[in-house]
Amino acid sequence: MSGSVSSEVRAEPNLTPLLDIVFQLITFFMMVINFSKDAYDARVRLPVAGSAKPVDASPHDDRLVLNLDRDGRLLVPGEVPQGTEEAINWIKQQARLTRINLEFAGKKLKAGEALPTTLVIRADKGTPYSQFFRIVTACQAEGFQKFALKAMNSEG
Amino acid sequence: MKKTKHEEVEIQITPMLDMAFQLLTFFIMTYHPAPAEGQFSMNLLPASPQAKLDAPAADTSAPADPNVPAALRTMKTTLHAAPSGALGRVTVGEVEVQGMDQLRAKLKEILSDKSLPFDQALIQADPQLHYEDLMRVVDIYSNLNITKISFAQMEDGGGPGGAGGAL
Repeated sequence: MSGSVSSEVRAEPNLTPLLDIVFQLITFFMMVINFSKDAYDARVRLPVAGSAKPVDASPHDDRLVLNLDRDGRLLVPGEVPQGTEEAINWIKQQARLTRINLEFAGKKLKAGEALPTTLVIRADKGTPYSQFFRIVTACQAEGFQKFALKAMNSEG
Repeated sequence: MKKTKHEEVEIQITPMLDMAFQLLTFFIMTYHPAPAEGQFSMNLLPASPQAKLDAPAADTSAPADPNVPAALRTMKTTLHAAPSGALGRVTVGEVEVQGMDQLRAKLKEILSDKSLPFDQALIQADPQLHYEDLMRVVDIYSNLNITKISFAQMEDGGGPGGAGGAL
């Protein structure tokens, strides 16, 4: 037995640097977190095109994202994949909503004037061209003219 | 003089550290790096009904340039598809090429010839063609600094259908 007088030695590690590091890490992850999952659909495997330009849209830009799966169905968040007819109806509805929003904002469009919204098309690499073409022409018929075709910059 | 009495106040940082670790765990779990996505921005105007895209080029579109009509400045690429949807025959103007590499070489050859007026492209594709192959062709054009691209769909009867555009 060590019958020594218990001289209380308290080891108190200095936690402040650790806390500093942890806060730095938290800050980093807070900055890079992306809650806007609605625009990003993991079911869509984008094609690869090296010369696709990086997206430089400001958050104020009016964008409408269309995700097309490999069968050309429209993937709307929270809903079942939509066939061509439903997709075209959905686009019509979005165009109508855009016009109503613009009207409320006091920017009434003239007849035949294009909508200012950019349609971002995220189509799967296996989407048949006919589906893509049908969706694009349906959008044009509703007055959308600005398009952005998404592609990956590199494989993986 | 009053003697200053040193009294150490210890702040418990352990609970704060606990909480910070919890937050850190949350952010690490929800961290999902978005893949590096790029885009081709284009202005696609609705096809005008009188613009027959598969008709002889000279008498189709209204001349945008007084010297050379727009239709003559348009490089037409036709993409045929195999039944599986993979890229089959490719026709540049009237010339047939095989595969993407030949297409790239041919387009480079045509577009580097300054005596030819081409400055825009029309891509006409088989309905079955995979979007991936279309984007590869758009990529080739984009690399060659052709920014005005329009799309059309091939139909069995050779019927037109188009979406004009500028990249």
